Amino acid sequence: MSDDVAPELISITIDGTDRSVRPGELLIKAAEDTGTYIPRFCWHPRMQPVGMCRMCLVEVEGPRGVALVPACTTPVGDGMIVHTQSEVAKKAQEDILEFLLINHPLDCPVCDKGGECPLQDQTMSHGPAESRFVEEKRHYEKPIPISDLVLLDRERCILCARCTRFSEEISGDPLIEFQERGNNTQIRTFPDLPFSSYFSGNTVQICPVGALTATAYRFRARPWDLRAVGSTCMHCTAGDSMTVQASQNEILRFLGVDNDATNHGWLSDKCRFGFEYINSPDRLTTPLLRDAEGELREATWSEALQEVADRLGAITEEHGGHAVAALGGARGTNEDAYALAKFMRVALGSNHLDAQMDDGLEPQFLAAVAGRGQISDLERAKTILVWGPDLKEELGTLYLRVRRAAQELGATLIVVHPRATGLDDRATHKFGYQPGTGPDVLRRLAAGLEEFAEARAALNEGPVVAIVGRSGYCESPALAEAVAAFARDLPEATVLPVARRGNVFGALDMGVAPNLLPGRVALGSDGFDGWEVPEHSGKGAAEILTGLTEGSIKSVLLVGADPVRDVPSGSAAAALEAAEFVVAIDLFVTDSVRHADVVFPALTATEKEGMVTNLEGRVQKVNQVVPGPGQARADWSILDDVATAMDRPIHLASAEAIAKEIGSVAPAYRGVTWDLVTWDEPDGVVVPLNGAEVFEYVPVDAKIETRSAPLTLHLARTLYDDGVMMRAGLSLHDLAPGVAAYLSTEDSVAVGVAEGGLISINGHQMTVQIDDSLAPGTLYVPFNQPGGPHLGTDPVIRVKAVR
Amino acid sequence: MTWSPETLERADAIISKYPDRRSALMPMLYLAMREDGYLSEEGMRTVAELIGITPAQVQSVASFYVMYKQEPIGKYLISMCTSISCFLMGADDVLAALEQASGVPAGETDGEIAVEHAECIGACGGAPACLVNYELIEGLSAEKATELVQWLRNGKPETINTDEMQTLFGGRTSFDWAIKEDNAAVGPYPAFPPFGTAAENSPALEPGRGS
Amino acid sequence: MSYPKVITKLMEEHPSDSHTYQRYVASGGYEAAKASLAKTRDELVEIVKDSGLIGRGGALFSTGMKWSFLAPPRPSYLVVNGDESEPGTFKDRQLLERDPHQLIEGIIIAAFANEVHEAFIYIRGEYPKPARRVQQAVDDAYSEGLLGKGIFGTDYDLEVTVHLGAGAYICGEETALLNSLEGKRGEPRLKPPYFPAAKGLYMMPTIVNNVETIANLPHIINHGPEWYKELSACEDTGTFLASVSGHVKKPGNYELPHGITWRELIYDVAGGIRDDNDLKAWIPGGASAPWFVPSLHLDDPITKADCAAAGSMLGSGAIIVMDHTTNVVAAAERLVRFFAEESCGQCTPCREGTTWLDMILQRMLNGGGREVDLDLLHDVSDGISIGLGWPPKQTTICPLGPSAVSAVKSILEHFRDEAEAYARSANQVPVTIGGEG
Ligand SMILES: Cc1cc2nc3c(=O)[nH]c(=O)nc-3n(C[C@H](O)[C@H](O)[C@H](O)COP(=O)(O)O)c2cc1C
Ligand code: SF4
Ligand code: FES
Repeated sequence: MSDDVAPELISITIDGTDRSVRPGELLIKAAEDTGTYIPRFCWHPRMQPVGMCRMCLVEVEGPRGVALVPACTTPVGDGMIVHTQSEVAKKAQEDILEFLLINHPLDCPVCDKGGECPLQDQTMSHGPAESRFVEEKRHYEKPIPISDLVLLDRERCILCARCTRFSEEISGDPLIEFQERGNNTQIRTFPDLPFSSYFSGNTVQICPVGALTATAYRFRARPWDLRAVGSTCMHCTAGDSMTVQASQNEILRFLGVDNDATNHGWLSDKCRFGFEYINSPDRLTTPLLRDAEGELREATWSEALQEVADRLGAITEEHGGHAVAALGGARGTNEDAYALAKFMRVALGSNHLDAQMDDGLEPQFLAAVAGRGQISDLERAKTILVWGPDLKEELGTLYLRVRRAAQELGATLIVVHPRATGLDDRATHKFGYQPGTGPDVLRRLAAGLEEFAEARAALNEGPVVAIVGRSGYCESPALAEAVAAFARDLPEATVLPVARRGNVFGALDMGVAPNLLPGRVALGSDGFDGWEVPEHSGKGAAEILTGLTEGSIKSVLLVGADPVRDVPSGSAAAALEAAEFVVAIDLFVTDSVRHADVVFPALTATEKEGMVTNLEGRVQKVNQVVPGPGQARADWSILDDVATAMDRPIHLASAEAIAKEIGSVAPAYRGVTWDLVTWDEPDGVVVPLNGAEVFEYVPVDAKIETRSAPLTLHLARTLYDDGVMMRAGLSLHDLAPGVAAYLSTEDSVAVGVAEGGLISINGHQMTVQIDDSLAPGTLYVPFNQPGGPHLGTDPVIRVKAVR
Repeated sequence: MTWSPETLERADAIISKYPDRRSALMPMLYLAMREDGYLSEEGMRTVAELIGITPAQVQSVASFYVMYKQEPIGKYLISMCTSISCFLMGADDVLAALEQASGVPAGETDGEIAVEHAECIGACGGAPACLVNYELIEGLSAEKATELVQWLRNGKPETINTDEMQTLFGGRTSFDWAIKEDNAAVGPYPAFPPFGTAAENSPALEPGRGS
Repeated sequence: MSYPKVITKLMEEHPSDSHTYQRYVASGGYEAAKASLAKTRDELVEIVKDSGLIGRGGALFSTGMKWSFLAPPRPSYLVVNGDESEPGTFKDRQLLERDPHQLIEGIIIAAFANEVHEAFIYIRGEYPKPARRVQQAVDDAYSEGLLGKGIFGTDYDLEVTVHLGAGAYICGEETALLNSLEGKRGEPRLKPPYFPAAKGLYMMPTIVNNVETIANLPHIINHGPEWYKELSACEDTGTFLASVSGHVKKPGNYELPHGITWRELIYDVAGGIRDDNDLKAWIPGGASAPWFVPSLHLDDPITKADCAAAGSMLGSGAIIVMDHTTNVVAAAERLVRFFAEESCGQCTPCREGTTWLDMILQRMLNGGGREVDLDLLHDVSDGISIGLGWPPKQTTICPLGPSAVSAVKSILEHFRDEAEAYARSANQVPVTIGGEG
């Protein structure tokens, strides 16, 4: 929802009828919005028009007579008279179609695009009855893999340049290009340099023919036996709208859905192709119970529920509710998270719960920062400050929106990050820095000292959008807050704090945090009266793990949480080992679930219905597309059953009923119902509705200490890693960069190690790779790589070359 | 990067002439050809690095233009014009003679001599005409074309000078050439001093050189 | 018959050293540039407008008018179009090779008039010799203080860079040329919105002028617009450099006034048809132009308006003459092949259509003609250039596609019987043609 004043409409005539359209709008769009579809292949509403395919030719009356113009490159002007069906226009369109078809193979029956192909559709309705082309068609080897994920069939290609423009204009990794010219023009990659873009799947989606296809979908299904349901992507917190397609109860395909609010129709490849885990044979299908030999074995629901009820009952009886904690909740729906918050507080009497894995930021800051912005603020921003994770690695579509703002809309972009980021090529100012010295950098930026002078001046040009987050795990979460504290005083500033895990914002909003209650209410305040809340102060993930290790906390619930992999300090395995009783609700037996005494099989977001909340506080729906495997169930219903079995019922009857309960008891969600966030409105709603006043958290500059050493550690996520969803989906797991230590040439010399040599970091050995984009004194290790060790989160490390 | 320091210096000098780095792309591709004798993949990677774009973008541009040869073509490139004016004046016969004398079909190379048909080379008044390493001969005939090939084969001239060739094999010109040309081509790419591709030579023009 | 010489005067009078700085200056060179630097921009634009100078690159657009459209400088650029690749055209080559300082002086005038501080000379890659001569002249001009910082002792700076193309006819089209100069594929840009005068090189206001156009400037400044107008006894002003090729006795470049007839040009200036053969047809303005035939056009005056009225154009001033021995179907194929090979390939009708036309013509020439082929040739042409008129109603982005149609339209219109013979040629022996005859 934008509060811009709608520009005055102008009036044009298309095929004899008057239309009111926005001035300057492209004719093709204005016509479509007012009911006239002009055929097109190269034009795409999210990319610059190129007018190449010439399919959209129409006649426009002008001072110098009637001109034949492409509707996709012609802006409308007041009084314009357009003919899309005149003899000349129709002839031009028919001729272009004939030209496009002369070299197009007749393999529609075996083409993945068959049934949803614009070229096929056009041909059926307007095409020549038979080809007059008796010459030899162009021949190319078909299809050739241009990456691990994408195949290219050049014979089918109609050279519309959608894919090349996407990779150049939108994603900024121009690895596929037109090669040759004239009749030999073709799309190709450079030899031995595949189309390894994080966003390559979008080109498959926007290809108007079957030239680019995805290995993941190839020959899997014909578009006409697919069932499609609208939903929201849960891989990161951007809240991308998408369509999930399934056939015979198997998920086959995710497609981006265009909306103005979030993803503009794009998805990162992780979101698009990262669904293999859903169909994985390793999914949990029944409850598991640890038997006398210490093995997890299949159990019935009643056995498992009874065991949990008994053990948790006993522990809370003996030690009180605060002897039990919960980790997780960020992978489920808001309804699931609400159930967890209610279960912990009402059934167990504990405030020790955390949706973050000690890898995020202050929960109140994330959930309720004062002056929080929306992604669409980027469209109006004059200046954008990104100080946080490399968005390309962690929040793909937000990354695309920032690129667009800098590149197409001319915003000044300032990026602060220890190493090279995907945005650097579009940044007006890029500042690298050594991990640990962030506070110092902030002070200097705020004061506009020396190299920061220009950037500081740019920050006086509002509207400013500040995207803040944790650049790496060796950085204090307080730094992001300090950056936000600085940024919110800039002219017309909005702040977007970012965290990455699926529905973490929804979970925090539902009170899955030690200091928050449902609806963004601070624990200890009196803003929440939905049910009774324990008195004690809550513990976050780090303290919970310490509590488990030290014995003050006896038991923990892991709800879609893999702390062994995800908690950067590496302290989770020992903590779970020390715990008396561990319950897990999960899709797989993960490294963490291995420590559980009881395991319940859970559902993915494509197997249930519910709400999710993105990083703006935008609430959208996920929808059920397929049934879950075996006896898997939604988190909320498992938790409700456990509560009932403990005789401490929490009264949750259905996801929709929970949504209603949230809408009535959670202040920030007051009035939000499923009816409001139906799939017909993929933009969802941003809470609180109607600007209702709720708790706002004012970020503080906690004046953290700068940490310094000749070499400090930067530990950060990559798009593809060893996360459980990746591990169960082999095609993406293979794309993870792997374990390595990255150093600049200069630092490698100082350490005395060459590229490919071995280095020891805090006692863990790894190979060295040279990366001269690193700030001096920075050692970068990608987090959570297959087989990688935990290095801890202290930027100051022990390093030596291994000989 | 495998370029010689001298070439890299030249590259820097060229890049500095343009307001935008990418504008130096076409000259860089000529430098790459001079380094390797043709435009190699390695050369394109180097250019990509120098310009700051991807190798795919470099190749996209390179493959648009016919003078950037992505395969080794040998020492001499004979580009025979067969566009309209040369065609009207019998260029097809001359091309056939070139192919026959060299044994190399148009579009191919034997590692020493490459023959290709070219579109209009701006010598229509002196048709039929051809280029050897982009140095011009006007007023060619099938007989002279055969001699040209033998001259290249037997004499293996290190450099190619347009006046020398015109004297030996040429005929009618588009206009009075008037002034002798001191520069000569050193390979199958244009001889242009800023690229370091032009050799100064004043050929003897004596009979006996070559055939 | 002798006509006044303007841009070819120096090279004709001093053939052995017209390209040198010494000779150029000794003959009064660079006086016009010096005088121009003392005038205002508006004065200069006005003079050029008054002179009636029209562009010699092919579009024949008023140069003064073009300059007056230039958006306010921020900065702006001047690009000299020396890509000369239109088949039949070889005039710029002579100007570049034989009188490069004339060009540089013109550049100084044009640049100053348009508040330009950076100019580029784009020379086709197949012209290394002209490029060397120009580079030498540029180097000399720099060392003489005529280019660079504070030229002629004024506070006006002007940098000039010689840029070499690499084999692509389409780079002669001004927006493709700008893409090429930016290190991109030489694909024409959309007009609108990318008119060079508003969004040209690096999206800045840019003047693109042909070599010959620029070469005229020193003379217009030296002698005034009135003198220039009177060089031709018709509406078109000044002289033009005609490149005559094909079956004439004396092919070559001829500097001529506008308004003489085709008969005068072909028979007097170029010495008539070889072997005194019959004239069959000629192309009046480079390969892109629809053909003229003696029965209709021989006594037409050579002016922009007369050519247009006859459905063709003077274009780049390239006249390609065909005698009665010419196989016009083969000639048309050769012309169409050129455009198919030189199509940039970005727009559908040109990429697919020109190739298709060439395939049909080749098949006809190789004995595979079919009755339907003439209609098909017509329809395919019609899909590129609706109605086959001139100037074309094009379905393409730039005029290259429709240019390929000119030859097809010409044989269908003037030599239909010969074309029909090929359309019935299935299984006939392939025909070879050409040769000096
Ligand atoms: C396909 C095509 C090829 C062209 N080739 C040339 C060329 O080789 N040289 C040239 O000066 N103009 C050429 N032009 C014209 C240019 O686009 C442009 O009009 C001209 O350079 C402007 O200069 P002028 O106004 O001085 O003529 C070509 C145009 C088209 C459409
Ligand atoms: S008409 Fe031909 S040359 Fe011109 S833009 Fe289209 S494809 Fe390219
Ligand atoms: S949609 Fe307009 S030219 Fe392709």
